[in-house]
Amino acid sequence: MTWQTVIGLEIHVQLSTKSKLFSGASTGFGAEPNTHVDLVDMGLPGVLPVPNKDAFFKAIRFGLATNAEINQVSSFDRKNYFYPDLPKGYQITQMAMPIVGKGSIKIFANGQEKIVNITRAHLEEDAGKSVHDLFEGETGIDLNRAGTPLLEIVSEPEIANAKEAVAYFKAIRQIVTFLDICDGVMAEGSMRCDVNVSMKKVDDLELGTRAEIKNINSFKFIERAIAFEIDRQTKILESGGSVVQETRLYDSVKNETRSMRSKEEANDYRYFPDPDLLPVVISDKELEEIRSSLPELPEQKEKRYISEIKLEESEAKIIASSKTMANMFEEACLKTDDSSLVARWLVGEVSALLNKDNIEIDESKLTSNNFAVLIERISDKTISGKIAKSVLEEVWESGDGVDAIIEEKGLVQIQDESLLESIAKKIVEDNPGQVNAYKGGKDRLFGFFVGQVMKETQGKANPQSVNEILKQLLK
Amino acid sequence: MDKKTVRTIAHLSRLSFDEKNEEKITNDLNNIIKFVDQLNDAETSNIEPLTSPLEKTARTRPDKVTAENRKEAFIKNAPSSNEDYILVPRVVE
Repeated sequence: MTWQTVIGLEIHVQLSTKSKLFSGASTGFGAEPNTHVDLVDMGLPGVLPVPNKDAFFKAIRFGLATNAEINQVSSFDRKNYFYPDLPKGYQITQMAMPIVGKGSIKIFANGQEKIVNITRAHLEEDAGKSVHDLFEGETGIDLNRAGTPLLEIVSEPEIANAKEAVAYFKAIRQIVTFLDICDGVMAEGSMRCDVNVSMKKVDDLELGTRAEIKNINSFKFIERAIAFEIDRQTKILESGGSVVQETRLYDSVKNETRSMRSKEEANDYRYFPDPDLLPVVISDKELEEIRSSLPELPEQKEKRYISEIKLEESEAKIIASSKTMANMFEEACLKTDDSSLVARWLVGEVSALLNKDNIEIDESKLTSNNFAVLIERISDKTISGKIAKSVLEEVWESGDGVDAIIEEKGLVQIQDESLLESIAKKIVEDNPGQVNAYKGGKDRLFGFFVGQVMKETQGKANPQSVNEILKQLLK
Repeated sequence: MDKKTVRTIAHLSRLSFDEKNEEKITNDLNNIIKFVDQLNDAETSNIEPLTSPLEKTARTRPDKVTAENRKEAFIKNAPSSNEDYILVPRVVE
């Protein structure tokens, strides 16, 4: 039997507002427990939530960037459940009238493009944090995160495999970071997702029963959890059983998913409109202002880099795909003319260093100024590409100025042809054996002579000049 | 509404009551539902659902941090706490 996998993702994006969705408490990460908490977040009686307008604006930016319907009137509902890190006993969310309606996003997976439809995106508040491992027999509650605005983005169940799911998650991360509505830092929980997985026979019109895997916060875990779940459900179905609709947890240590709640306790959130909150209305003028303030998105950037700056498609794609990379490229290009050299170094040496340290470019010590100077020094032949690489590594470690490093270490490229010629002559004289072998047809020995000149000049010789001089001498 | 539903709702709401009151509570709730059910007789097919009886829209706030740190007061008022956390009976196995 061939089974078809059907996957839907619910991605929680933490919006980068300064204050919470319904209170004036800070959303800053990493504060001491329970210091970023207002009376509203604590769920004290007699207090009323007041919506943060900026959270709506950020949600609308996402909607516009994904060609979605924007609901200029949206409202809030209560989702009721009991858990100690949710002091009110309900989460305020948007059930009936979400701010963002149907939209779509383009993904690239398994070598092809695909459009994934987005059902809706709604605003809701985050819960606090429960700490289970610090106290004997007790759970510690930290409410700093309680009330932080989240945008929950719900995809249609039309993702076919784990690779597509990861590509979709990456596409959403890319768009929210470009829009500047989320910092995209997965390690701090700024993006988390719930994955719904079900299996059906290829010809079946109806979807199979799904399992929901909660709260995954890395690309790798999404892929692994889905793979495990497909395997688990296939085995159940193959042996004639049926999948139970339930919430499961992915355990990254054991690489398995397991049931979170017992079956008889079916979820019943008893949604109803929150009587504490009136509908929030976005005016036409506000909507137009947001629309006109939208930044250039990766796809548009890529096209512009190719058509206007004449970058190679592969380079344009890599640079445009990351906001920090694109910023570095555009800023450096303002300060130096050689855009294609900027691109080549970004995609090559700089990316290699980023990968090695596993950081984003804005976390490195490389500034666009310094980078532009480096490119200038390569293109005006002050230093060779090889020396430039070591200068870049030096900048990477210390953050010192490119010119200062070149001067301090005496790295200026030797352009003086007569000096290079005398060095080359001496090397030719000192190695008669190699000269004879070369003249006898061992062409590969040319590299030996270049290497010797480079060694003699500590890599500072201009390689083109060396090549020409040696060709003359060895004729 | 039967007794089983009443028990489920009680569990979801974390409420408990004596078994001997179960009959009375079930009757009471059924009477309340019967009363409210009269609303279903009203013809509403052409009317937009109302989120609030107040025909007004929300006052919103600009994105500013205005709250002060009240951690000490919160911790002091919690039934159980240490210096950083509010403590509750352990909620996972």
